Amino acid sequence: MKILSFIAVILVGAALIYGSLDMPKWGDPNSPASSHVSPYYLRHSMADTATPNVVTSVLADYRGYDTLGETTVVFTAGMACLLLLKGRRKN
Amino acid sequence: MFEFIVSYYNYWMFIILMMIGFYAMAAKRNLVKKIIGMNIFQSAIILYYISVSVKGGGVSVPILEHAHDGHGAHHAVDIMQYANPLPHVLMLTAIVVMVATLGVALSVVIMIYKRYNTLEEDEIIMSIRKG
Repeated sequence: MKILSFIAVILVGAALIYGSLDMPKWGDPNSPASSHVSPYYLRHSMADTATPNVVTSVLADYRGYDTLGETTVVFTAGMACLLLLKGRRKN
Repeated sequence: MFEFIVSYYNYWMFIILMMIGFYAMAAKRNLVKKIIGMNIFQSAIILYYISVSVKGGGVSVPILEHAHDGHGAHHAVDIMQYANPLPHVLMLTAIVVMVATLGVALSVVIMIYKRYNTLEEDEIIMSIRKG
């Protein structure tokens, strides 16, 4: 069983390393990740949200609904922990 | 050759870290060790995204300088000076999901230990088969 999972790990790792050769080089300023919307956020953050910290302005302003859903995730996880640990104490 | 290795070194390191976590999830028998493996896996993904946000040498964190000088809103921003803020934001969300899954997994493990008095996977399966 350990041999089998080791073989699987080696295969997945080899596939991922083969795929990483098509990725943009490290620190490439024209890579797809930093060339579509992130220049807009950096340029317009002060004018739109008056926040110098761009991470904060994206998290709480441009992607505010995403953060709202994130609080739902935390709330659900907290409720699941409470129900698992405290739920059946009386039975 | 050296430039080739430097260009892809970060991806290879994070793939190795991710595979260590994957092996722990697949091969270890202890449930807590499996959870630790899941955390290593998620940490590798977070480090990978943070390394994607770098733009060459000399970038700083995406906090705008001279923002409160009075004319900050009209100041032209040199985007090459700051790291890409978007992966940082996405990884804040991923850290929240990581903490949520860790909490739920640990409470499930506590319930399993209360019922079967062990965390070894094969012992749990044996005591289920015995009824």
